[in-house]
Amino acid sequence: MNEMMRADALTHDSEGVKIAIRNLNFYYGSGKPSLKNINLSLLTNKVTAFIGPSGCGKSTLLRVLNRMYQLYPNQRAEGEVLLDGQNILGPGVDVNLLRARVGMVFQKPTPFPMTIFENIAFGIRLYEKLPKSEMDARVEEALRGAALWDEVKDKLDASGLSLSGGQQQRLCIARTVAIKPEVILFDEPCSALDPISTAKVEELMDEMSDRYTIAIVTHNMQQAARISDKTVFMYLGEMVEMDDTDKIFTSPAQKRTQDYITGRFG
Amino acid sequence: MNPFYARRRRTSSIAMALCLGATIFGLAWLTLILFTLFWNGFAGLTVAMFTEMTPPPNAQGGGLLNAIVGSLILTVLGIGVGAPIGLLAGTYMAEYGRFSKITSVIRFINDILLSAPSIIIGLFVYGAVVVPMGGFSGLAGALALAVIALPVVVRTTEDMLLLVPTQLREAAVALGMPQSYMIRKITWRAARVGLVTGLLLAVARVSGETAPLLFTALSNQFWSVDLTKTMANLPVTINNFINNPDPNWKRLAWAGALLITLAVLSLNIVARSLSGGRNPK
Repeated sequence: MNEMMRADALTHDSEGVKIAIRNLNFYYGSGKPSLKNINLSLLTNKVTAFIGPSGCGKSTLLRVLNRMYQLYPNQRAEGEVLLDGQNILGPGVDVNLLRARVGMVFQKPTPFPMTIFENIAFGIRLYEKLPKSEMDARVEEALRGAALWDEVKDKLDASGLSLSGGQQQRLCIARTVAIKPEVILFDEPCSALDPISTAKVEELMDEMSDRYTIAIVTHNMQQAARISDKTVFMYLGEMVEMDDTDKIFTSPAQKRTQDYITGRFG
Repeated sequence: MNPFYARRRRTSSIAMALCLGATIFGLAWLTLILFTLFWNGFAGLTVAMFTEMTPPPNAQGGGLLNAIVGSLILTVLGIGVGAPIGLLAGTYMAEYGRFSKITSVIRFINDILLSAPSIIIGLFVYGAVVVPMGGFSGLAGALALAVIALPVVVRTTEDMLLLVPTQLREAAVALGMPQSYMIRKITWRAARVGLVTGLLLAVARVSGETAPLLFTALSNQFWSVDLTKTMANLPVTINNFINNPDPNWKRLAWAGALLITLAVLSLNIVARSLSGGRNPK
């Protein structure tokens, strides 16, 4: 059964694949792997949702895609992650350039301790030296892209920390899109937000999905069903099933998937 | 009333009374010390104290100008040497070396240094600087103060940087930011208030140190800003003057003690007001 699924996940490889994960194992220290032989593909400009009970490895998988795990010694990934065909786990990959291409939005809003304007401009300045007028335009573009412009345009000099939680999260999204990444990883982006802010962020992700390849980890299955094109169900470090979101939520091939989405375990 | 609950309330009030008693006991001595300082020192707080040199024995008038300036020079130099090293070391421990064994070793040794008697540090600098240089000097005094400031700054820097949430670091790194840049622009900035507080506490700590200066800068009755010579400073001057029967010297010693106390007090208040309210969560 596993073999069949793997074949299914890889059939898209020929075209439209942004990220291909091959035989990925992940270890926190020594001992058993936390991700076991993951094979799947993220399609260009599609939204892929990762669902599964806590500790199943969804976030771990996400953190491999921009090599965030590398901040911590003892964490180790084996296998291949091909971004546009290039193995990002291989030697000689500049992680800073990789992270500029593969952006990430976190569970808790993390505005930097500086003004709203600077929160956005800061990341842009890492890679580009722009005159003031162009920088202003880029910041506005990013804030508009995150549906935040109208709320903050009169207080760009206020601290990023003065915004509400939902606004802060959209500021973080704006900051991420400002440096023009190709892929955006969302790690439970709405779990700290109220329903109204959640709706705004979801709407935003929906708009963004025709320009970016998006991967989102979520505990909210309605959210996965609403916004994603493909859904991956993970359990105990393994990929149980990956398919079109409609299919996963209506007629999953695996019993474990069905049990999880109907709330019978997890 | 439920007997268990009644007993709990009784225990609580007894504990509360004991805590209150301990607080009052501690505060009483502090009040007494401050009161004595003001009582004896207030009269000496004159303009002359800030404009005239330390007087010879059995003379009239005079001030503490050379000692005040000497103390300022020694403190600024000591902090100038100790604080940057401490900041960099603390940053290494909290950022680059957070998970490495050497960090635990450094932290352990730093804690020993932090609680080492300051006279030992004075003796160390005496052996390491004063003897090879052939005499007491302001430079040796500044170095002794630097050694005292160093562990304070290391400790507070590490502690304050560890308070910065990991998510903030990850968010910065996720933008493709090199670690050194992330530390300078994000974590130092997020911990700024705490870092400044640590610095002020280090200043407060060294500005009252007497023992390490006895073996290094010694003292000087005259005006001197030459770092290779002995240098006047408030703590040692107070120590010399208070042990002398000359009432004029005694008066200046009390005034000098009050001056240091007020300076340290205001530094602490500044540190407190900086860290209050806007502390990172």
